[in-house]
Amino acid sequence: MSRYHLNRFLFDLKMDPDALSRARTDLDQALSGYDLDAEEEAAIRTGDPKRLRPLGAHGMLALYLMRLDPEFDDNIYWTQK
Amino acid sequence: MPFVAGLAASHAPNILLDPGPEWEEFMSLHYRMAPEAAGAKPSLEAQQRLRRDAEKAFSVLRSDLRAARPDVLVVVANDQFVNFFFDNIPTFFVTLADEVRGRFTRHEFHYRNHPELGRAILEAGVAAGLDLSFGEDVELQHTQTVPLHFLLPEAEVPILPIFVNTWIEPLPTPARCYALGRLIRQVADEASARVAMLATGGLSHFPGSPRIGEIDTRFDEDLLRRMRAGQGPALAELTLEQLRQSGNSEFLNWMVTVGAVSDAPASETFYMPDHVATGWGFASWRL
Repeated sequence: MSRYHLNRFLFDLKMDPDALSRARTDLDQALSGYDLDAEEEAAIRTGDPKRLRPLGAHGMLALYLMRLDPEFDDNIYWTQK
Repeated sequence: MPFVAGLAASHAPNILLDPGPEWEEFMSLHYRMAPEAAGAKPSLEAQQRLRRDAEKAFSVLRSDLRAARPDVLVVVANDQFVNFFFDNIPTFFVTLADEVRGRFTRHEFHYRNHPELGRAILEAGVAAGLDLSFGEDVELQHTQTVPLHFLLPEAEVPILPIFVNTWIEPLPTPARCYALGRLIRQVADEASARVAMLATGGLSHFPGSPRIGEIDTRFDEDLLRRMRAGQGPALAELTLEQLRQSGNSEFLNWMVTVGAVSDAPASETFYMPDHVATGWGFASWRL
């Protein structure tokens, strides 16, 4: 079930502005709302989408981890789905 | 009334980005995921040339669509985690809403939907043993909006979005998608409305995969050659593994239109790999 929650976290970063805001403000608190194991949480904290793929993140969702990267904060990418 | 036109077009987001800063900003995420592709980044001039070539292809498809005078445009595309998540992934999904909306960067989209045709397809599917999912709450995404921006910018014709699962295993087979196309063709030929179909996606690309940035141009060109030769029924014999290995899972969308046109040869095809992500492909069948 953990893989579901890893993908759910990424899906929420894509689709739920409130979830995105919470994750940007307090990642620890945001992650506590998902049933993630330690390896998954550690991979998320690296900020590297490529670390998520071996853990079962779908390739089309993994890149949404970059919504937490200040470099891509307001990238035009996020203005389309 | 007949099935009046078949179209297929890539929906790669960079088709609709302005060459220059907009393209570079958007693609910076792609290059982070595919640093090898960054070495082949197209220059501004190359981006502009790609955009011009894509617009030329779209202008032919748009002209063919207008000449066919459709009453409805069926849009066959895949979701990319906008309408569907792992809670519920339909293999095929028919939209029964009255209207559908979407947004792509600064572009807003709003179309009337055609639920009557959607219901006719659903009922024909049940009778034929091809049971389809359906629903009313659908948001358009780049898989529909990028080609619609060029092909139906005035929204003068209602659309009917149909989703194919091209991204989450297990995928439908090319033969199954072809069969769906045959079914829609049968419904269209018996309908009072003039029905056209647009399939979107592809061609070769590997988003989110370790092979991101690769483009199998040889496979793409062979697909287009076979469509020009009217080899639709033979394309239904492609295997999923062939499509996976060539980065062509979205060709499953195209297979629905290939089923609808069957052995009619494509009147026009266009192909332009963007060198960093996707083989942009386009086809039109004048029927």
